Amino acid sequence: MNAQLDNPPETAVLELPPEVVKLAIKDLTFFYGQKQALFDVSVSFAANAVTALIGPSGCGKSTLLRVLNRMYSLYPGQRAQGQVLLDGEDMLSPRVDVATLRARVGMVFQKPTPFPMSIFDNVAYGVKLYEKLSKADMANRVEDSLRRAALWDEVKDKLKESGLSLSGGQQQRLCVARGIAVKPEILLLDEPASALDPISTARLEETIAELKRDYTIVIVTHNMGQAARLSDHTGFMYLGKLIEFGETEQLFTNPVTTRARDYITGRFG
Amino acid sequence: MSAVADLPPTVAAAPSRSAFGAAFDKGFEILCFSAATFLLTALGGIVISLAIGGWPAFETFGLNFFISAEWDPVQEIYGAAGAVTGTLVSASLALLFALPLSFGIAIFLVELCPPMLRRTIGTAVELLAGIPSIVYGMWGLFVFAPWFAKHVQMPIMMSVEPGSFWEKITTGVPNGAGILSASIILAIMILPFIAATMRELLLTIPAQVRESAYGLGSTTFEVIRKVSIPYVRTGAIGAVMLGLGRALGETMAVTFIIGNAHGFPTSIFASGSTIASTIANEFAEATERLHSASLIALGLVLFVITFIVLALARLLIGRQANL
Repeated sequence: MNAQLDNPPETAVLELPPEVVKLAIKDLTFFYGQKQALFDVSVSFAANAVTALIGPSGCGKSTLLRVLNRMYSLYPGQRAQGQVLLDGEDMLSPRVDVATLRARVGMVFQKPTPFPMSIFDNVAYGVKLYEKLSKADMANRVEDSLRRAALWDEVKDKLKESGLSLSGGQQQRLCVARGIAVKPEILLLDEPASALDPISTARLEETIAELKRDYTIVIVTHNMGQAARLSDHTGFMYLGKLIEFGETEQLFTNPVTTRARDYITGRFG
Repeated sequence: MSAVADLPPTVAAAPSRSAFGAAFDKGFEILCFSAATFLLTALGGIVISLAIGGWPAFETFGLNFFISAEWDPVQEIYGAAGAVTGTLVSASLALLFALPLSFGIAIFLVELCPPMLRRTIGTAVELLAGIPSIVYGMWGLFVFAPWFAKHVQMPIMMSVEPGSFWEKITTGVPNGAGILSASIILAIMILPFIAATMRELLLTIPAQVRESAYGLGSTTFEVIRKVSIPYVRTGAIGAVMLGLGRALGETMAVTFIIGNAHGFPTSIFASGSTIASTIANEFAEATERLHSASLIALGLVLFVITFIVLALARLLIGRQANL
């Protein structure tokens, strides 16, 4: 606490050096109909790193994820203003094909969402949409994705069985495998462990740590321990604003803003 | 412990209340059991009385009752094949027409429709289900049949090559009453049921499952075809079978428009009959013992067909549920 300022700033957002930035958000505002959910959020996510977004419920962290792959555009009345630059290209521009964007930006949800098909087909589903692979290549891709998601050993003998027959933790790792099978550049994880037991959570965390080598990962989590363990950078959001963003270690041990400090020390939230 | 002693007597009397509760539960159990038993008894009673009432027909004609299409009340020869075929053909054709339409309606309402239109169309579908079948029959006979004869039947009959296969299956009196018209009316009647059930089913898909499919880069069509419809497959089969069951047993509207000719239907424009329409038409005049027995036997056949359809649906649903 020694570096605390006498007049702590309202917000403190670390600027990442441009060469490490994969995804940059500039002045993003978002509306659910009349209700504004994000206020001028500007932040950058580094390549091959895990960025965690934390904050109390309703602070806008999930909303932010939904903007990054334009999931909001499925629902009339939801709109975003500002820029989301993926390798410098604005993803919110109407010229960008939304299906292609979503293939580049994968997402795993809070609850496991296996499709009503076999384990193999679940993983192959997204690949089939964009690539014509031979049978052997597809089998390799499915195996590779399941291995990376740390699920292969548990399902290799029952790939033909329904994805719905797996346990909750296995289903969630299946969804991770499905997400990485299409080789996205960015992986968005929306509280991926909130419905899992501690053992499944630990396995999922190992998976995420492994995936970091190849992907840019953004994870929304309620679990501050998880954010501290997994991430390189952390952003703290409150009431639709990004309050503080910085190196995870710095943010958790020595937050600059009063709000972030109060949240992390458990004074609210 | 003094607090316990201070409690009002009603609390001290608690054991007797729970004894009453247990007795009440027993009675409640018996009541529910009798309700279920009553249902089984009624079902069994109907089957037995149909079998007894129809027995003379089975006894007299034997297997011929099922394979002969000759239905002649004057000579007292009765065969069910014509009516059975008419029932199956009109119901299957109706399903064939209704299925794509109702799936389209349901998918449009759930996935694509602007919220403003959603209620209007949803209400229209429900209103369509609320029209009494006699009204469909009258509309079919007085409005639809003449239009159908002039604008569909005549042009088709004029354009097919004489002597060809197509000519054979399209011959008939050009009055618009026949198997095909009946199927179309039936399709309109079962459409709202299938559409409404499909809509309810599609609404049960969790938003996150759909979003996951979109999240992998699927187009709307791919999400609907590969994820949404498979997701509700089990229920969808049930919805379709429900529609088929209705189409099989529908009486009034079909009686109005199918033409009511006995015999084996050979053309889609020919007059025909279904089991239900035959019974409705002839029951009042069936004074001969064998005639009424044959009608009751027809009823039993319809019951068995409907039962088979439902059993098949169960079987399919059971198999899907295991997947």
